[in-house]
Parts: sequence; C-alpha cells; structure tokens
Amino acid sequence: MKDPDGRQHHIHLRHGDVGRYVLLPGDPGRCEVIAASFDDARLVAHHREFRTYTGTLLGEPVSVTSTGIGCPSTAIAVEELIACGADTFIRVGTSGGMQPECHTGDVAVLTAAIRDEGTTLHYMPVEFPAIADPDVVLALREGARRAGIPFHVGITQSKDSFYGEVEPQRMPVDARLLQRWKAWVAGGAICSEMEASTIFVLSSIYRTRGGGVMLIAGEDMAAPGLTAAEQQRLRGLLDIHRVIRVAIEGLKVLIEHDRAAAR
Amino acid sequence: MANEALHHVQLRRGDVGRYVLLPGDPGRCELIAASFDDARLIAHNREYRTYTGTLLGEPVSVTSTGIGCPSTAIAVEELIACGADTFIRVGTSGGMQPDLVAGDLAIITGAIRDEGTTAHYMPAEFPAVADPDVVAALRAAARRTGCVAHCGIAHSKDSFYGQHQPQRMPVADQLLERWKAWRMGGAICSEMEAAAIFVLGSIYRVRTGGVMLIAANQERDEPVRTVVHDLHGVIATAVEALRILIDADRTARRSI
Repeated sequence: MKDPDGRQHHIHLRHGDVGRYVLLPGDPGRCEVIAASFDDARLVAHHREFRTYTGTLLGEPVSVTSTGIGCPSTAIAVEELIACGADTFIRVGTSGGMQPECHTGDVAVLTAAIRDEGTTLHYMPVEFPAIADPDVVLALREGARRAGIPFHVGITQSKDSFYGEVEPQRMPVDARLLQRWKAWVAGGAICSEMEASTIFVLSSIYRTRGGGVMLIAGEDMAAPGLTAAEQQRLRGLLDIHRVIRVAIEGLKVLIEHDRAAAR
Repeated sequence: MANEALHHVQLRRGDVGRYVLLPGDPGRCELIAASFDDARLIAHNREYRTYTGTLLGEPVSVTSTGIGCPSTAIAVEELIACGADTFIRVGTSGGMQPDLVAGDLAIITGAIRDEGTTAHYMPAEFPAVADPDVVAALRAAARRTGCVAHCGIAHSKDSFYGQHQPQRMPVADQLLERWKAWRMGGAICSEMEAAAIFVLGSIYRVRTGGVMLIAANQERDEPVRTVVHDLHGVIATAVEALRILIDADRTARRSI
C-alpha cells in the first residue's frame, strides 16, 4: 500500500530502492552488520521495525530489510518489498536447535516450514506446504560449504510464541504445546524460529523465491555442570557473523547461478 | 527375528534395493522395470506389485502403491522395513497452471496435504516436502531426457471425482474455493499420493521426490481437451534420476 509520497506504507521504500535479492533478518539492529558485507551499502529507510540498507554483491544490487519478530510484520515486509521489485528472499537469523546433532554454532539451511502460526492462514488453507525455493536451498547449502560452517538441511518450526516454546510448562495449553513439539521433533524438524513459513507461503503465492539460513543455539548454556570454559566456547560459537557469512556466500552462488541461467 | 514377509507388500528385507520407484498403477510396474537391468517380479499381493533389478549395478525396485494415500502409506512403511531409503513417485497428474501442456512433466518440491492419511502421522501445519537432492536429480534428469519439466507444488487429494466433477458433490463450494486457493498458490499438478510419501519420508529420515506426467490440463482453454497417455518420458526421467542419485551417493561414500 503506497502513501501519497509514493513510499510503501510500512517499510517506507519506493520501487527501485531495493535489489531483487533481499536478506531478511528479524532484528533491525542486525541490518548494519549484514550490510557491512555488501559493497557500497547505504541506509535507505527506517520506519518502525523495518530497517533497509541497499548495496551490491558481484555488482548486483542487493538489500537487507529487517522484518521484526513474528509472521504478522514479516508478511507486511514481504508484501511491500515485492511491490518495490524484490523477487528473492533469504531469511537470516537465529533459531533453537531441535535435533541432538544440531549443535550451537551450526547453521540450518531451510527446505520448508511448519506453519505453527496464524498469519499464513489469512492467505492459504493449512494443508498448503510452506516450501523454500529449490535453487535457493542448493545455493545456501553451497554457501555453508564455502564458508566452512557445519550445516543441517531440513524443516523449521515457525511459531507465534517464543515463550510458548522455551517455557511451555507455564502456559495454560502446555500439554498441547509439548505434544506438538514432540511431533515436530519426530518429523525431523531441525530448528525453531518465527518468520520462515510466511516468507515461503507468500513466495509461492507471488511466484518469488524464498529461502532461509539460521544460526543454531543448541546446547543449553545454563545447563548444570557446564564449566566456565565450555560456556565461553558456546558463547563464542553463537556468533551472528557465522550465519551472515553463509548467507552472503549463498547469495553470491545464487547471483552466479541466475547470471548463468540468463545467458 | 525371522525375516518374514511384510503383511501387505509381501516382501522381505533384501527383496528390494534402497532406491524404489512408486507408480500408483500395478499395471505400470512391468513397463518401468523394463528400464532396469535383470529385472524380475518379486511379489504381487493386492495392489502392490514389485520388480527388482539393477541400474549401474545397484539394486533398484519398483512397487505400485495403488490409488490414494491410505495404501501408499502402507507401501512406504513396509518398503522402509525392507531396507529402502529413497523413493520417487512416478505417475500421471492433472495440470493446474495454464502454462503446463499435456505431455510436460511436473517435478514435485512439496505437496498440499488435502488428504486424510498424513493427519494420522502429523498435525496439518507440518509441510509435505521432497528431498532437495532428489528434486535436483529429477531436474538434471529431465534436461538429459529432453522432457519439458516444471518444478513446484503438487495437490495431493483423496477424491478423484471431487476434483474432476466438483459441482456434483455436496461440498462443491468448498472444493471449488480451495481449488482456486491452490491455483493462486502456484500448485502445478494434482495427484493422489505424494503427500503421504513426503511426510513419511520426513518422519523416517528417508529421501523422497516425485515426477508426474501432465496427462491433461483442465485449466487450459482448449476446444478439445488434449490427453497424453505416453509414459515413456516420465519413466525415462525417473530412471535417469536414479542413475544420477546412485552416482552421487557413490561419490559421497568415497569422499568420507
């Protein structure tokens, strides 16, 4: 939805303000860190939780826009970014590991998302799968290889309640939360976060490409018996730069792939 | 424990390769097995007909699932118990976007769970998603076989006639409204088994994918509906994808 000045109502961007490739962190505070990996990045807009930098990678215009936490604000960001000309979205952020082999500091390359949220029901019946684009998945996996960071490829749980996940026992619907969590783990979900399903469902509807790579918080840093040295090691691994490197390398792979396909 | 035949498919561990093609129709198994080396009929019980042969010297099988997710879930459960870990659905489907022409192929990345079986395994919010390496192998295979291929989401339904003649169903309004949503979501084809294969694949950590012939497309404006029955392209593509996966799996083993 455009304001009279031609800017999209929430993200305050106009057509042409962003590249076709957009990285989507949740936290506006991470946009600058991500944009530092672009060439010639500049702040283009900042309104509410939506902060956008545009620069280039391999000479191609690329952007980073924060979505805020959760699918409601993410759907707004994706809708308005598409209206500005973007067609490829890569979620970058942090997540909780859901399998024993998903260790702190590893990354999760997302193939699809569990629609454990309310926003995508405003678009599609629940049976519709939230699926990442296969070319984006392969590019991000290659990006993880190039960055030399251990990775897992699989399904994420996109949820609406952070505290419902980390402290389910204090919720009135604790039994349901715990039973469903057990099902997601049995189904092989590798991580839990709060925005991917919306990016994927909207990308199917609007024929754009969605994908995501998440830094994993695995081991419980507050676990009893953990030595100070071990705590420090885990804290060191929980470094957002690790997943940013994978996203940037993956984006370069995708830009090269798209150029080859265009030829 | 004795190596007893599984109840429905009547196969024992070792009777099938790790790679299994899954058509719906038992009558198509022999045609598919003709692309294997040294194929032989292993079992046939109910709608489950199985041939095992080799490709590049690797044991591979074809087992029919029958129509629908209920019988498909049984086939996949029992084939996994027999040692299979890679499944490619091969069959026919109806096109859902106007740019799909009868005779084209649909390579499936995920499935709409418009069926009852997978709800016995997983809450509805869980995505039915194919394995990315199987999807990539099928895409590379279609380039080699020269088939026109589209990549995207399949609609897995429980009612054939609910799709083809929705207006005569008591729930016609609901069927038509949902069909419109699936089309707006970009679903490329409609079939009846993929969702079960994909959800069970996630639960049991096995690899799945699917390639479908677009037999006809009700969304195209055609004076006379084009219908294609020739399965050779879709079978050749599925078999070529198995070769690509076998090669890749051997390379991965050597590099460990």
